[in-house]
Amino acid sequence: MRSLIRVSAWNNRKVRVKPDAAHPVSLMVTEPPVWKRAGRSLLRAKWPILALVILGVVAFMAVFAPSIAPKDPNRQSLVERLIEPMKANENGEIVYFLGTDGLGRDLWSRIIYGAQVSLAVGVMAVMVGGLMGTTLGVLAGYRGGLLDDIIMRLADIQLAFPFILLAIMVLVVLGPGVWNLIPVLGIGQWVTYARIARGQTISQREKEYVEAARCIGANDRRIMLRAILPNVLAPLIVIASFNVASAILAEASLSFLGLGVPPTVPTWGGILNESRDQILAGKWWPALFPGLAIMFTVLSLNILGDWLRDFLDPRLRGR
Amino acid sequence: MFRYRFVLLVLLIGLLAVVFPLITVAQTPDENTLIIAQTVDVGALDPASVNSRAEANIFFHVFGTLFEIGDDGVLRPYLASEYVVSEDGTEWTFTLNEGLTCHDGEALTAEDVAYSFERAADPANAFTGNTAGFALPAIGYQGMRVDGDLQVTVLTDRYQTPNLRLALISEVYIHCKDSYSALSLEEAGQKPIGSGPYRFVEWVPDDHITLEAVEGYTLRPTNFKTQIWRVIPEASTRVAELIAGNVDVIANVPPDQIEAVNNSGVATVQAVAGTRRIYVGFQFGENFKDAPGYDALQNTDVRVALQYAVDVPTICKTLLGTECERASSMVNPPNNNPNLEPYPFDPAKAEELLDAAGYPRNADGVRFETVLMGPRGRYLNDANVVQAIAQYLTDVGVKTTVDIRDWADYRTLTGPKEIGPMFFLGTGGGTWDALYDMADLSSPDAGTNYTNWQNEEWFTLWNSLADIRDPEQEREIINQMLEVFYNDPPWLLLYFQPDFYGVSNRLDWQARRDEWIVIYNATLK
Amino acid sequence: MPCPYLWNTYRMMLRYITRRLLQSLLVILGVTLLTFLTLHLAGDPTYLYVSERASQEEIEATRKKLGFDQPLPVQYVNFLSGLARGDLGMSIRSRKPALDLVLERLPATLELTIFAMIISTTIAIPIGIISATKRGTGLDGGIMLLAMFGQSIPSFWLGIMLLLSVGLQLKLLPISGHVAVLDPMLKGDISTGLTNLPDALRYLIMPGVTIGLFSLSRNARLVRSSMLEVLSQDYVTTARSKGLSERVVIMKHAFRNALIPVVTMLGLEFGFLLSGVVVTETVFSWPGVGRLVTNAITQRDIPVVQASVVLFSFLFITLNLLVDLIYAQLDPRIRLE
Repeated sequence: MRSLIRVSAWNNRKVRVKPDAAHPVSLMVTEPPVWKRAGRSLLRAKWPILALVILGVVAFMAVFAPSIAPKDPNRQSLVERLIEPMKANENGEIVYFLGTDGLGRDLWSRIIYGAQVSLAVGVMAVMVGGLMGTTLGVLAGYRGGLLDDIIMRLADIQLAFPFILLAIMVLVVLGPGVWNLIPVLGIGQWVTYARIARGQTISQREKEYVEAARCIGANDRRIMLRAILPNVLAPLIVIASFNVASAILAEASLSFLGLGVPPTVPTWGGILNESRDQILAGKWWPALFPGLAIMFTVLSLNILGDWLRDFLDPRLRGR
Repeated sequence: MFRYRFVLLVLLIGLLAVVFPLITVAQTPDENTLIIAQTVDVGALDPASVNSRAEANIFFHVFGTLFEIGDDGVLRPYLASEYVVSEDGTEWTFTLNEGLTCHDGEALTAEDVAYSFERAADPANAFTGNTAGFALPAIGYQGMRVDGDLQVTVLTDRYQTPNLRLALISEVYIHCKDSYSALSLEEAGQKPIGSGPYRFVEWVPDDHITLEAVEGYTLRPTNFKTQIWRVIPEASTRVAELIAGNVDVIANVPPDQIEAVNNSGVATVQAVAGTRRIYVGFQFGENFKDAPGYDALQNTDVRVALQYAVDVPTICKTLLGTECERASSMVNPPNNNPNLEPYPFDPAKAEELLDAAGYPRNADGVRFETVLMGPRGRYLNDANVVQAIAQYLTDVGVKTTVDIRDWADYRTLTGPKEIGPMFFLGTGGGTWDALYDMADLSSPDAGTNYTNWQNEEWFTLWNSLADIRDPEQEREIINQMLEVFYNDPPWLLLYFQPDFYGVSNRLDWQARRDEWIVIYNATLK
Repeated sequence: MPCPYLWNTYRMMLRYITRRLLQSLLVILGVTLLTFLTLHLAGDPTYLYVSERASQEEIEATRKKLGFDQPLPVQYVNFLSGLARGDLGMSIRSRKPALDLVLERLPATLELTIFAMIISTTIAIPIGIISATKRGTGLDGGIMLLAMFGQSIPSFWLGIMLLLSVGLQLKLLPISGHVAVLDPMLKGDISTGLTNLPDALRYLIMPGVTIGLFSLSRNARLVRSSMLEVLSQDYVTTARSKGLSERVVIMKHAFRNALIPVVTMLGLEFGFLLSGVVVTETVFSWPGVGRLVTNAITQRDIPVVQASVVLFSFLFITLNLLVDLIYAQLDPRIRLE
């Protein structure tokens, strides 16, 4: 019964509008499932397809890094440092497809492994921030009162504290490392989710379907999880897709400040940062390839996010 | 149709703001101005509180010292013309030059010299840094005595090798009593009133410091009327400014950019063999008893074997951008023991010695595992050198994981000696005396004995030095000690850190070995 | 009866502002505690203030001098009692009031952020409007693609590339450095500030673009999409059907409403730009707060970190309060509660 009442278009194909003045007749519209509509909408747009393909390739690289990478990404060879891309050795073989970096490590293998860490950092940071922000936001919006006040003041503290300072301080204290970076980047984002989730929850709280759920005796947890959450999720998913991109960029900036991940863990930001002395020396490849990797991934995520926004809820434009 | 003339107008204004300033032309240093770029700004400009090289470099020009440490390790008269040492070596009496003044016109006499030492040592001032925190305690400073207008005596509690003591005394910057006693500590840190060849003009924090030549200064040359000390933290930016001709001298050229500077036709890189001793320490402290590889590294044979495993000359050539000789001891040449040959790179021998020491390779090719800690952003290319060393050690079967920390973090660990089982470190050295370099290991619990090395022979010999006055006999013991160090190495010996200065081709100037930038003697070509 | 109505609004606004400011005090307290704990948990800061060759006794003595030998709660209470008196303590490195150090560098950072905000709005708004009115054309696609590229370049990378190409190769702009405008003006010397302005702008462009490009791109997309949304609304259709010219429709009806999300962003933007400032100031050796704070953190100059954090929080809070007030002016539906 509950699921039939009214749920925004994205997670339920049966939409039933209750009879009211404007629509005197109760009607039942059956739409194709969401994935089918998404597929159709994607096919109509060119750019999102391309973005999806790029992200697919990157994800593939990340997942199968050990089998794709020709070399150990950390294996150094000082005598082979800074070899140009596609340059053949004395036997006429091209050993290093994209050349080597300043420690003689294979750049191609590092970029493949870098995809693994960079994507993992981006996605997991968003998961940490999203989970935390959504939970707190829905709680604050649904319960209101003191809890709402406390959570919103926490959000203010977070916002008043420039993220980069927080990141620098926490990473200086904990030391650089993937497992320290993820919560830091995640915590930097939670407020965005919390604010939106709270706003949406407040607007949904008094809706009839929630009332209905309450009437049939559902407890608060159930209402929040089953009734409210699905209806506030759409904008959050859109924000999340953009935030994966900004987490990847933030990781690069922190690498520049020497606070990303340890130099033995290849990430795109880290590789790009290690190459910064080489740009002026005319050695372009250690900077160009990780730079392109970051750019195309972030670009694809943004394009996809845009499409997702238009698809899920056209009213969300401008958020 | 919508006419977006208004919109275009706004766009035009925005673009104009960007394009308009392109019209004017950039300025370059002229013949009266010397521009130097350092990597960090000074924290304060109080002569009694020297907390960084950047500060010392300014002070060399603004303040005089009793004697001056030359870049050849020779100590030359400066504000003082001569000195006499008492029989027991505890009292050092200096005679000042006549007619000295401070920059505010006050006459500089024995009383002012005494004040400079006393002010630095006064616990009420709570100074940190080199003078109060190292130089004065290291000479066993007891107080000052004014013996006349130009005679002043430094009182100490013990005998010390003369060269070493004189060098430490020469690290105290002399300033005038009347000018400084009128200033609060806060004011004193902002506007130094000096006694050297250059007068302080202006300090724009994190941007630049301007100095101006003192007219009629005779003790040292002042070839440029103005010196501007800029702060440029990013290496690529420093090099770009040098190549563009906007800066005359830059410190810390990254090794990979040396070629670009030399090819520019505008400037040249001077590579100097620095005095900072870079090494990998083996931790002997009990705290690390359970750390991987600790037991193996207690074995002298293992530590000797590892010396053969690392290709120091290749590290120098590739990562440091210069040829360098591997260190044979902790002492800077030419004060080292000439009979000791640097360990060669011989991985086969390293493996052989490790086999013999009882650490054969297991099925995975691993003899034992250990961790190498290191800082990032402190020493020349440090993080990369640490990784390269770990690779060399792994190659001979000692599987080494690196643990690289930000410098501040690392320093809070090195302080209480919580680094190990292996750690990468560099400590400053000197050219004027072997004992200055060896003082790192002056006692088993010295703050600078980061490895907690306990070798009894070494410390017995060190203590025996206290009663020796004869330089030749002293030399003999030093050589003996360095041999002990060589054969039971607490350090994996690496190199003396080279320093790279980018110097404009219009300038005639020679960089020093000791990381100091002393540039009043620079001239135009 | 307009007067009571106005008076009411005024009183409501005053009450709202007071409440927000009181809450801000709590926020600032939380921020300082956070800073204090993180910096002290990072290990004993004493070691960063002793010579690398200092002995155990000297280290002990320095610890006492700096007050790090006292228990942490005592140190924090000391800090708070100072804060209550408006005293944020002395910088350990510079032996100067920490707040002065921060305030001294604030004008340079403000110049940079204001410039970045100016270019990111003056360029973004027209671009966004053009893009929206030309929706679906090649121009729109091109602008939006460029905007997305602008959002995908790491800022330090952009900075170094700009500096090497525009500064070193083309010699169009100075590579690094800063000419002060705001600082002399704030000290009352307006004419020096103005004469410096053309020169200062030349130094501002590259770092300004480095920080501003990301926001510029985001704002352009924001303006475009909110424009599109507004243009499809009933009241715009009504305005059009009344025969108003397209220009009037867009400027009078659509533009004002499309601006709302951009204004909201501006408040958050400031915090965001400050993040960019740390990296950009390092690359272009800009003498601003970003570098001061990073140096203070790595040197564990705790009073300076505290002072800047308090100041940033204060600025941020005030700015957001302002934004909320402007917001209420722009959109009569929004009430201050």
